[in-house]
Amino acid sequence: MAEITLEGLRFRYPDNPMDTLEALDLRIASGEAHALLGGSGAGKTTLLNLLSGLQTPTSGCIRFDGRDVTALAPRQRKVAQVFQFPVLYESLSVAAMLAVPLRNHGWSRRDAARRAAEIAARLDLAPLLNARSGDLSLYQKQLVAIGRALVRPDISLVLLDEPLTAVAPAIKWQLRRVLKTAQAELGATMIYVTHDQTEALTFAERISVLHAGRVLQTADPETLYEAPSHEQVAHFIGSPGMNLVPGEITAGRLWLAGHPLGGAPGLTDGACTIGFRPEWARVSAAPAVSPAAAGTSIGGVPVTVDAVRVLGTRLQQPEGLVGIRVGTTHVYTRQPIDVAPGCPGMLHVRPERLLVFRDGARVA
Amino acid sequence: MLELHDIDLGAGPFDHAFPGGAITVVLGRNRSGKTHLCRLVAGLVSPGQGTVRLDGTDISSWSPGRRSVAMVYQSFVNYPNLSVYDNLAAPMRARRRGGGIRARIAGRGDARMDIRVRELADRLGLTPYLARLPSELSGGQQQRLAIGRALAKQARVLVLDEPLVNLDYKLREALEQQLRELLLSTGVTVIYTSSDPRDAFSLGDEVLLLDRRQPVQHGTPLAVYQHPDSLAAADLMSDPGINRFVEDDIHCAVRPEHLSLAADPERPQRRFEVAALDVETNGSETYLHADYLGHPWIARLVGLARVRSGQAVTLYAPADAVLRFPGSADG
Repeated sequence: MAEITLEGLRFRYPDNPMDTLEALDLRIASGEAHALLGGSGAGKTTLLNLLSGLQTPTSGCIRFDGRDVTALAPRQRKVAQVFQFPVLYESLSVAAMLAVPLRNHGWSRRDAARRAAEIAARLDLAPLLNARSGDLSLYQKQLVAIGRALVRPDISLVLLDEPLTAVAPAIKWQLRRVLKTAQAELGATMIYVTHDQTEALTFAERISVLHAGRVLQTADPETLYEAPSHEQVAHFIGSPGMNLVPGEITAGRLWLAGHPLGGAPGLTDGACTIGFRPEWARVSAAPAVSPAAAGTSIGGVPVTVDAVRVLGTRLQQPEGLVGIRVGTTHVYTRQPIDVAPGCPGMLHVRPERLLVFRDGARVA
Repeated sequence: MLELHDIDLGAGPFDHAFPGGAITVVLGRNRSGKTHLCRLVAGLVSPGQGTVRLDGTDISSWSPGRRSVAMVYQSFVNYPNLSVYDNLAAPMRARRRGGGIRARIAGRGDARMDIRVRELADRLGLTPYLARLPSELSGGQQQRLAIGRALAKQARVLVLDEPLVNLDYKLREALEQQLRELLLSTGVTVIYTSSDPRDAFSLGDEVLLLDRRQPVQHGTPLAVYQHPDSLAAADLMSDPGINRFVEDDIHCAVRPEHLSLAADPERPQRRFEVAALDVETNGSETYLHADYLGHPWIARLVGLARVRSGQAVTLYAPADAVLRFPGSADG
């Protein structure tokens, strides 16, 4: 499979004053499982169409293994695609269905059948080779669609557009697992497009987070989670997303609602946004527990508890999300439910976990 | 209070009382009888046997229009050709038409209605969109409008049949948080069906578990979670499903969130040697899918955990977190 390089790739619809996709540089290694993560309107579909050749970029270039394919037609690029819903010839058997792309490219009946059986075995489809496509469950149909995308050994790239949409939530992981195993074994370069953070973080080695036509960050799951480069990434990753509250830097210290949270060495004075994940913070009923005991920031910030949401118990004690108001901003902490709505509390954030954003981008 | 007496959803008669002014989350899987129960309360199907009483009055034979019950469906049903304002006003206008000559006298009524529409829009966060058509709203706004139309009916009972199931994930998260406050502020009796136990915790004063067309347990969400009467009840209040095993011929279970990769040295622990199948993660939590003696298990781990497929893994749970169900044959 191919290494994919995007160089200054840009797309703008005629008569549109704004780029749908801003100059984009990205390198995806041969055999990499890559995800494009973003909400609706982020530019995912446009990027997908540029890669498959359905749309032509306004400027910039796409290379497969160093070779410029920007001007090539979809068919010449050898890109296979899997869509949200399986598109199959319902009357064909699974074996025949898997052989279609090979037969279309001049393979003999015998060779095509052998290769189809090989792919079917990799996808746990072997027992279904003689079944009629129309009789399969949605899960099995989507598996056949994936098989069809993988069956040609000369394919450069596999594009997957929300491929688990049609599958029941409880068994999505099984389909993803089969897909991931096949991807690794075949060394396939795959680009997986989704709005679902779990899909992206689970499937991919590296994820590009797309927002408003820009790739904000490309990184592995741990980095996106712990060190997001932008507020949008911080919000998108995690459930619930990262807390983002207006803060202030004065004389090298970080302040939240008039209370010191920790040090901010090397940052100029002025307004900023403070980011921390619900699991990095804790609210205790006022008066505060001693900061030494909690291992958290000095003093704490007085807050009012808005709501609590039990998610289960740990050590026989309810735990879950505590919703609080800091100024006018809603914030969540993930912790034991030992505070009640309406009560005053003290918010502590682990100081080593505090992130600082300015103009949407992380500065510390 | 809404009382069901001798009602049958297809698996034998039962009684249940929904407390007035509170939210009851009816939790069950597909085809557990949730929708049937909703339709029965709304009067869209006849109970066949038994009675439905609303604040002491038998309404079993009343038509849906005569009952003080409003319903919200999975798919957001709004009038596509009416503005948000008129969608909210429509149920009030319909009431006045039904209310005879006196209610139809214009002037004061219109002004009152206008106040109510705007007040409702404000509570639903729809004020900036009053002039828009439903198709010009986001999915979350459309569903809020559908809920608003149900509230505009000023019914005493509000039935919501999996109202958030068609919304995307981040939207759902946002709406869930407002919904409890919104519903409680109206003072109506709410029946809210779902298949997600998180809804029971985030919305419910009470939870009623339905399994195979029959109630299996009810109570406060935490009580039902902590003291399930049966495997079925434990499983319904578990997200994802409960992990089962058999020990000394007794059916046992352990919740996904009670399993971890590290033992707690302070407390007696149970060890489970499992084969890892795969992990999925949203960053905050990782689901570890595993095989334990032929049972499919899921451990809900905090943070981002990396486990290789096929790897042998030891999972730990506090000994007192293992649920035991003597005499419980199946789930």
